[in-house]
Amino acid sequence: MMSNLFFIMLFFFGFGALTALIFPRGLPARALPAIGAGIGSGAGFALGVSHLFILHPSSFILSSFLPLTGFALRLDGLGAFFLIVIGLVGVSASIYGFGYSAAYEGRYSLRVMGVMLNILLLTLNLQVMADNALTFLILWEAMSLSAYWLVLTESDQPGTVRAASWYLAMTHAGFAALVAMFFLLSGGELTTSFADMRSTSALLSPLTRDAIFLLALFGFGAKAGIVPLHIWLPMAHPVAPSHVSALMSGVVIKMGIYGIVRVALDLLGGGPVWWGGIILGVGAVSALLGVLYALMEHDLKRLLAYHSVENIGIILIGVGAGLIFHSYGMMTLAALGFIGGLYHTINHASFKGLLFLGAGSVLHATGTRNMEEMGGLIKKMPYTALFFLIGAAAISALPPLNGFASEWLVFQALLGGFNLPVPEVALIMPVAVGMLALTSGLAAACFVKAFGITFLALPRSHEAEHAHESPLSMRIGMGLLALACIGLGLAPFVVVPVIGGVLNGLGGLPDTRAAFTSNLSLQTPAAFGQMSSTLVMLGLLILLAVIPLVMKILRVNKNLRVSDTWGCGRVGQTPRMEYTATSFAEPLRRVFAELYRPSKELTIDFHPDSKYFVQSIEYKSEITPLFERLLYDPFLRLVQSTARQVRKLQAGSLHLYLAYVTVILILLLLAARWF
Amino acid sequence: MDTLFSQLSTLGSSVILLFGITLLWRKSLRAYTDAFRWQSAALTVMFLIIGYFGNDPELYVVAVFLFILKVLILPRYLERMEQRFGDQRESQPYVNIVTSLMLSGLLVLLAYVVTRPLVLVSDLPTRGGLPLAMGLIFVGLFVVITRKKALTQIVGFLVMENGIALLAVLGTFGIPIIVELGVFLDVLMGFLVMQVFVYHIHSTFESIDVDQMNKLKH
Repeated sequence: MMSNLFFIMLFFFGFGALTALIFPRGLPARALPAIGAGIGSGAGFALGVSHLFILHPSSFILSSFLPLTGFALRLDGLGAFFLIVIGLVGVSASIYGFGYSAAYEGRYSLRVMGVMLNILLLTLNLQVMADNALTFLILWEAMSLSAYWLVLTESDQPGTVRAASWYLAMTHAGFAALVAMFFLLSGGELTTSFADMRSTSALLSPLTRDAIFLLALFGFGAKAGIVPLHIWLPMAHPVAPSHVSALMSGVVIKMGIYGIVRVALDLLGGGPVWWGGIILGVGAVSALLGVLYALMEHDLKRLLAYHSVENIGIILIGVGAGLIFHSYGMMTLAALGFIGGLYHTINHASFKGLLFLGAGSVLHATGTRNMEEMGGLIKKMPYTALFFLIGAAAISALPPLNGFASEWLVFQALLGGFNLPVPEVALIMPVAVGMLALTSGLAAACFVKAFGITFLALPRSHEAEHAHESPLSMRIGMGLLALACIGLGLAPFVVVPVIGGVLNGLGGLPDTRAAFTSNLSLQTPAAFGQMSSTLVMLGLLILLAVIPLVMKILRVNKNLRVSDTWGCGRVGQTPRMEYTATSFAEPLRRVFAELYRPSKELTIDFHPDSKYFVQSIEYKSEITPLFERLLYDPFLRLVQSTARQVRKLQAGSLHLYLAYVTVILILLLLAARWF
Repeated sequence: MDTLFSQLSTLGSSVILLFGITLLWRKSLRAYTDAFRWQSAALTVMFLIIGYFGNDPELYVVAVFLFILKVLILPRYLERMEQRFGDQRESQPYVNIVTSLMLSGLLVLLAYVVTRPLVLVSDLPTRGGLPLAMGLIFVGLFVVITRKKALTQIVGFLVMENGIALLAVLGTFGIPIIVELGVFLDVLMGFLVMQVFVYHIHSTFESIDVDQMNKLKH
């Protein structure tokens, strides 16, 4: 049955790509590729589920598939888990894309989009089954390139080409590191199977293992978007079509996480403490900086992209903590860290996918990504608002939604750090707890802003006033992910043992399914933490029912008065008087001025007769993009000045070029003479 | 017998090289065409000599093709182009004649240096000609680099090609005929393509000075 599912998946992605090629426009051009992508992703999802729940733990081997090409595919627990992540977002994004791409009709190439979407999903699904370095690398590159084409869809919009180029440059820098990494790991033979690498990696010298780890961290980190390699995320995610943004942010960057876990834990079998420490540190910094930059964004999709940096950080905090515990042999706590990280991976995929789809609906309805031109959308598009609210609550880690469950687990893992035998290392943990706590708080603030400014109050522009709800297919896409957010949040007692089973055996992790009690409340092995989203949910529901009842009984509503919200007694409020996203973020801009280094420009135009009458005020404030300025600009300048030097060789004279050839020929002949 | 063969091959190679060096001290295109024709004729004789002494009748066939292509056809085309563009003189080469001649002497010396290991281990009767063939290749390249007119460069290229053919026949006593014919076809094609380019350069720049193409750089 499993190989049937596998071939169904291949067939439908092929079907989607082919039909996209055949039909350039019209309904078939949108529907058929979407059907292919949707069913293909669904088959991948089913493959993952059946592997984890039905046929566990036998692994599904496809190495006989195309034996002469060096391709090898093999599905194990970790791969199956990621298949579920991909399938979840893939199905929703495909359904959503059917409705969303209607606006692209006649303006952009539906053909390229349909083909590339199917190829991207196919390579993602195969990626997590790759069983040797060659397969892994080829799929990795195919995935990067198809995502590049998708980012380029709206190539006539300003900034799109630049963003896509940044993405390509970063992902290829990472790819180079990955090639080097796999060469070291496989001893130069790229068709070595992962199973052989597992057994030989322990025999490598510590220096080689460190090099492999660092290369992997760089290569996968560039894909995942860790600080300071995050720079392409806020550029590329906003300009892509929204269902593609959802896929990229929800799934593509998760491949970085997959790679880190696969290589550091599985293939290398863990390492010294500083491996975990560096991942933990990178994760904590990414989480905090990601949310801080997100707070300053008024572009809804850029804001979400920065939150991806933050959430990748949270995932890596879990993974890093897991690796630290692993190196001390504290396997249960290690498993807890990894479970927290992986749980957050699927959670982030679902709520960030949902939020990007929601942002896409808003963009679809208003034609702008600028939050300052939105407002009041909750009345025009109630479904989108509801789904976006669910996503926002989930990413803010509010119980009983899924973000809470996984962040709670990550916290539990970090709090278990007092068990560490070395005090210097144990001290890292509380610091990380602090940073994570600050991150969570700021994230909640940021989504109060994102939801409030976008959906509440009065419309701030003509477009927002005439917004419309999105078509059914888009609502279904969002609804699926919203259900996933709720389901994953309410059932951690199901999810955690499953992830425990996935991790069983990777890098010597024990079977932890028994260590986490599988009743309604979730207990951690350290035994001081216990929580139950389900009970929290019940409590909240009761509260929701009780509060109006009590108010009714106490007759609080007796003197009901209908008036403008925050009216302050003024007559005739206009949207111009509303709280803006900029003003909401202003206090934090001041608190973190050291980081943002905001520039301020205030121009007041007085009336010529009296300066007590102001004609116009112009206020401009920008934050300094620190990483661009300190890290990337010097590097780019270096590249450009080198290129200018090299360009002098290109004098345009044919004779000179011929002379180069001759000189090289003579030098080679002389070299052959003497060496 | 062998000594006569080796003396003849060295003599022939020297004559061929001398025709190549002629390009450096003549200025008119007609002189170049003549030099190339005579050089090719000498090369044909060289093939016949090696075919005779090396007992390789295939080389006679190659020699016939070589004669047709390089003595009859290509010089004919060159003359036609010359008529079309008028009397083009290589009035201001990048390197003047005296220096060119001195440098070509140095290049031949260099050819002796780089082929020395080969000549030392070789027991071929024709080994004395190897450095001269290599020198001819260098001289051909030198002409291409330092002369400005497109037609001169074409001749330089053809001379260099002759050098390669000479080196091949001296070093191996004839490569398989099918390869030889392929090379001839390549030369003809290359020549025709270059001819088309020269016409285009002429119609674009009103001149066949290749250094005009600097203007294409933005």
